[in-house]
Amino acid sequence: MKLAYYPGCVAQETGKELDLATRWVCRALGIELAEFPTFSCCGSGFLDEANEVLNIALNARNLAIAERAGLDLLTICSTCQGMLTLANVRMKDPQVKARVDGALKPLGIEYRGTVTVKHLLRVLTEDVGLPAVKAKVVRPLNGLNVGAFYGCHLLRPADEMNWESGEEPHSFEDLLAALGATPVYYRGRVMCCGFPIQFVKAETAQRVAGRQIDDAKAHGADAMATPCPLCHISLDSFQNQAAKTVGHPLDLPVFHLPQVVGLALGASPEELGLPRHLVPTDAAVAKIGARAVA
Amino acid sequence: MAEESVAAVFDIYRFDPAKAPAPHYQRFTLSLAPHTPVLTALLRIRDEIDPTLTLRYSCRSAICGSCAMQVNAKSRLACETHIGPEMARHGRIVIEPMLNQPILRDLVVDQQPFWQRYDAIEPHLVLDARHPMPDGVANPMTPAEVDRFKETPRCIACAACYSACPAVSADPEFPGPMALAKLYRFVVDPRDHAQQDRLVRIQPNGLWLCLRCHLCTEACPKDVRPSERIRDLKELAIAAQGGTEHGSRHAIGFKENIRERGLLNEFKLVRQTSGVSGVMGQIGQGIRIWRKKPEIMRAPRPIEGMDEVEKIYEALDPKPEGDA
Repeated sequence: MKLAYYPGCVAQETGKELDLATRWVCRALGIELAEFPTFSCCGSGFLDEANEVLNIALNARNLAIAERAGLDLLTICSTCQGMLTLANVRMKDPQVKARVDGALKPLGIEYRGTVTVKHLLRVLTEDVGLPAVKAKVVRPLNGLNVGAFYGCHLLRPADEMNWESGEEPHSFEDLLAALGATPVYYRGRVMCCGFPIQFVKAETAQRVAGRQIDDAKAHGADAMATPCPLCHISLDSFQNQAAKTVGHPLDLPVFHLPQVVGLALGASPEELGLPRHLVPTDAAVAKIGARAVA
Repeated sequence: MAEESVAAVFDIYRFDPAKAPAPHYQRFTLSLAPHTPVLTALLRIRDEIDPTLTLRYSCRSAICGSCAMQVNAKSRLACETHIGPEMARHGRIVIEPMLNQPILRDLVVDQQPFWQRYDAIEPHLVLDARHPMPDGVANPMTPAEVDRFKETPRCIACAACYSACPAVSADPEFPGPMALAKLYRFVVDPRDHAQQDRLVRIQPNGLWLCLRCHLCTEACPKDVRPSERIRDLKELAIAAQGGTEHGSRHAIGFKENIRERGLLNEFKLVRQTSGVSGVMGQIGQGIRIWRKKPEIMRAPRPIEGMDEVEKIYEALDPKPEGDA
């Protein structure tokens, strides 16, 4: 399987561990990544607040790059997934399409609308398939209680994202179970991480983040795992501030999606960039490491 | 042929402050056809088993908006939510009152906070005092003008969006999805003369606290799509006023950021949004992150094909003359 790899901004910079883990997992599962240094930012749900049609046009250009190569697009970020999918949806509106085409055609760019945008979570659960993932597990995550945290834009609006239920998804929990982990079901798993207003009103953002972490812990999670590096910033990089806002320690490690897969498939914590996390993952890793030896 | 009945298990939130200070859940099991609405089941419980079960409802036809509640943690109208799929997915049906509003008794909440936020946006046309609409004279709009707010008049004010909203629950300053969707409706109504005032007033009053989680759009039984209307409002507010708030500066900063390199420059964006003082306030956190993730201080390399990105910007976001 070959896909156009769209890493997104964060995985190329402060979230580099996500890129590392993605490459490791894709190598292990035989997913070939075609790289395009021409991809621009997806807009992240902020650019369209300033200029929606500009955002759609930039993403139509991204999609056209994959289309020219005859490939579907692989995302590793819930927000990239949402924004690129939304461009596909909005381009079906003739008025929007006319404005976007008007900007792209003089550059010799045409997007015909044939590219499917797929998050790694969907590729693993649908294209690779859970039996094939399971067959590669060498270090089952037995005994590790993991709370999946989806990230809004992967799911909603569900009629536009056209994949999972917007409020009751199950693919991530299915994947965790295939890796041997125990999925933790909690209300916060489909809620917001707070990130979008981290720089608007930090205290409110941190309260939102703290609630979801508290909720996962209250349901017995040893760790959370997210398919979105923006959620990861909010839940991991700013967890200390969330703890301050909610008024008690949180201390819950947060994995990126391909890191939990990589752990089960035998990667070392270093190969998955785990030492780069702000909240130490050692205790969670030790829990499965110990069991893998036994 | 009659549908086969299912044994529907209801765990219903019960709370009567006159009798006990804390709520509890009470289980009822009924044999019902899968297409039975949750509301019908609740009324049967009330009429046949426990007459003290307290809930709000009226039309039973998804028009009045009275019976919004939480069904298996989703904000829904009880009258149009069928028991079959809920039982199939969850094995039981947990019924709770709406969130984000004080609970009065069982499934009935005090909707005061919801209505106060609605009133605060002045949900009525503001006409030009110099040119009052004469009695009996129509003030026609074109179909294209009406189309701009075709979704919002569908709203039945059920408050399902308000219940589903994590920004409402985290910050009392957020007006909520319904109030903002309604505000959008007046901002794009060509008959309204307070459009600019409305945009100026809402910017520092909660517009930018929307989390863009789209939970309101999932909860809305009438497809008003409040989260998308809030996005529209933000773009209109920036067009009217530029970057006056952290939120609008963040969106504009993001746009300028990508114009430069095609990718996000995280550190620069923080400066653009929060200013130098904001950066100083975050210096301790910045150092904590930098120790693990030194890339935070580094600008990304520009993407290849920046000339294309620049030309797309020129076509769709031209800089004002004299600003180049």
